[in-house]
Formats: sequence, C-alpha cells, structure tokens
Amino acid sequence: MARKKVNLAYITNDSVRKATFKKRKRGLLKKMRELSTLCSIQTCAIIYSPYHPEPEVWPSPLGVRSVIARFKSMPEAEQSIKMVNQESFLGQRITKAKDQLKKQQRESRELEMTQVMYKSLVGDQGLQNLGVEDLNDLGWLIEKTIEEIDERIKSLRE
Amino acid sequence: MERKSKGRQKIKMMKMESESNLQVTFSKRRSGLFKKASELCTLCGVEVAIIVFSPGKKVFSFGHPSVEPIIDRFLTRNPPQINSGTLQLIEAHRNASVRELNMQLTQVTNQLEAEKKRGEELKRMRQASQAQCWWEAPIEQLGLPQLEQLKLSLQGLKKNVAKQSDRLLFQASNPPPAQFYGAGSSINQSPNPLDTNNIPYYAKNMNNVGFTGNAMPRVYNLGYGRGFF
Repeated sequence: MARKKVNLAYITNDSVRKATFKKRKRGLLKKMRELSTLCSIQTCAIIYSPYHPEPEVWPSPLGVRSVIARFKSMPEAEQSIKMVNQESFLGQRITKAKDQLKKQQRESRELEMTQVMYKSLVGDQGLQNLGVEDLNDLGWLIEKTIEEIDERIKSLRE
Repeated sequence: MERKSKGRQKIKMMKMESESNLQVTFSKRRSGLFKKASELCTLCGVEVAIIVFSPGKKVFSFGHPSVEPIIDRFLTRNPPQINSGTLQLIEAHRNASVRELNMQLTQVTNQLEAEKKRGEELKRMRQASQAQCWWEAPIEQLGLPQLEQLKLSLQGLKKNVAKQSDRLLFQASNPPPAQFYGAGSSINQSPNPLDTNNIPYYAKNMNNVGFTGNAMPRVYNLGYGRGFF
C-alpha cells in the first residue's frame, strides 16, 4: 500500500479530489462495518457530497433511521456529551499531541542529561558549558542515580 | 528490545470474545473512525455525520459541519437551505478555523515525530556507549565493588556540580565591573579555576581501587562529540 504523507487541506484538483473521495469513502464505510461487527454495536453514517444527489448512508436508509431514532430517544445531555464537530475534534487531537510531545521531550532530556553525567564523570565534559538550569537537572539526576545505587547495594547485602 | 504490544494481527470479523479487548478495540477504532471522517471532510469538502453506540450504551457522534442539521436534513429529505449571506459568512469563518486547526495539528504532529526520532538516536548512542563503559551499564548489572566505586565518583561529581552552580549564581549577582568601556575584552571571559585540563577530583581516586579492567579511566577521550545543548 502506498503510504504517502497527506497534506491535511482541501484538495483543489477536481479529479484528484473525486478519486480521493471515492477511495476514502469506501474505506470509511469498511471501518464502520468492522467496528459494528467486532464490537457488536449499532452505528450509522450519512455522507452528503457534490458527487451524489442523494446522501450515501450506512448501513441502509432504514438502518440509519433506526439508529437516529435510538439516538434521539436519549436525553439531550447524553446526546451532546460525546458529540464533536471538526473544530472540537481537532482541538482534542491537538491537545493530545501536545501532551505526547511534552512527555517525549522530557524523556529525551533525561537521556541527554544521563549522557552528560557519564561524560562529566570521566572528565570528558567540563561543567563550564552548562547553565544553571542544566546544572540543577544534572544534580537531580546524580542524586537519583545515587539513590538507585543505594537501593541496589542494600538488596545485594541481604 | 521489549515489545509493548502484539503489533498488527489478522483479526476475525466477528464479535470479539474477550470483554476487555472488545472495550479497548471499541475505544481505539472509534477514535480512528472519527479521524478518517475528519480527514474525508477536510480533503474532499463533504458533509458527514456518524453516530456510534458504545458497548456501554453511551453514544458518540461526529458531524461536519454539525451532527444535528445533517440528521434533520436526512430525515426531512429537504434540500439544503438556500444559503443566505449570513450563513455563508458563518460557514466561511468555520472553514477558516478548521483550516487553522488542521495546520496546527500538522505542525505539532511533525514536532512529535522529530522528537521521537531524536529520542531513538539518543537511545542508540546510549546503547553504544554502554558496550564500552561498564559504569554506564544499568545498575542491576553491576557488582558490589563497582557500585560502591560508582557511588563515590557520583558523589564527587555532585559536589562539583554544586560548586559550579554556586559560582554561576555568584557571578550573576556580582557582574564584573565596567567592562563596557574596556578595550575589546569580552564580558564573559573570566579566568575559570575549574578548567578542563585538570584531572577531575573524583576520578583521581579510581587508581587506588585496583580492579583490573574495572577502573574508570581518569581522563579518557571516548571520542564522542560535545555540545548536546
């Protein structure tokens, strides 16, 4: 399968857009079907496009009406609590990605600091290159490592 | 390297047996489904509504521009309203903010990818240096004498880190006098007593421990580049 990175923007080329729509619509409906089957749940999809006068639906017009009826029979609060549109959905994804980024940066920082600690230990790196914040983090890491060593020494002596 | 999950597996297209797997699958696939729907709307400019009931009888829905109008439009089989000027303006605003959000998402995702690559690279370097230097190995792999030796070295390093930190803080609150009018001398260069050519204090004691092959080298050029920061 050709895995190209897709630019998340409206496709201006008409024929490319139409072809993309056809492919992705098929893929989307397939995913709907799989989700319904695997989890044994009710789902429905309605798609309005310039390429079809009538909306394209899944599982069937009758099936859609049934799901809508069940949906509308729920209290308003229940309906809306997990309802999203593009803006709210994208907002959620951005927040999640930002959190993952922060976490990854923290991990990288610790890896980097560990390198600095070991290099300084054998005199391969002077401490002059480090700013106050770096020195603080380094001190913390050394402390933490010493604690781990103490733990290990203790358990070996038992 | 440990595997965190089983990876891609072929799955039977029928109701899942394990209750907990079913719940996890629902959660992941629902999220992926909404993502695909969102992309379809962005890329092809179409309007979509999706309703999904969870195994726990809660309901999730996604709609672009919004769930309710699309449901109503389907039920009443009405053609879409003639777009008044106001409606068009509202739609234009909405499209602009969606465009903005997509760009932001792309940006953060790219940053995340780059950061992950950096992490991989750092991990690789760590593994390479662990092969050469016994003191970099995980703590569990070290024997008692090595642990004690390492601890001593680290304590020495900690003292120097504290010293250097104090020195910097002192310099910050007591800047060197009037170098602004000086004859070309750089403001930041004050002679530094702790210079790199001295054998570090902590490594000096290593030679007395007498473990052949276990001694940490005094000043050992490991051949790594500097400048992680």
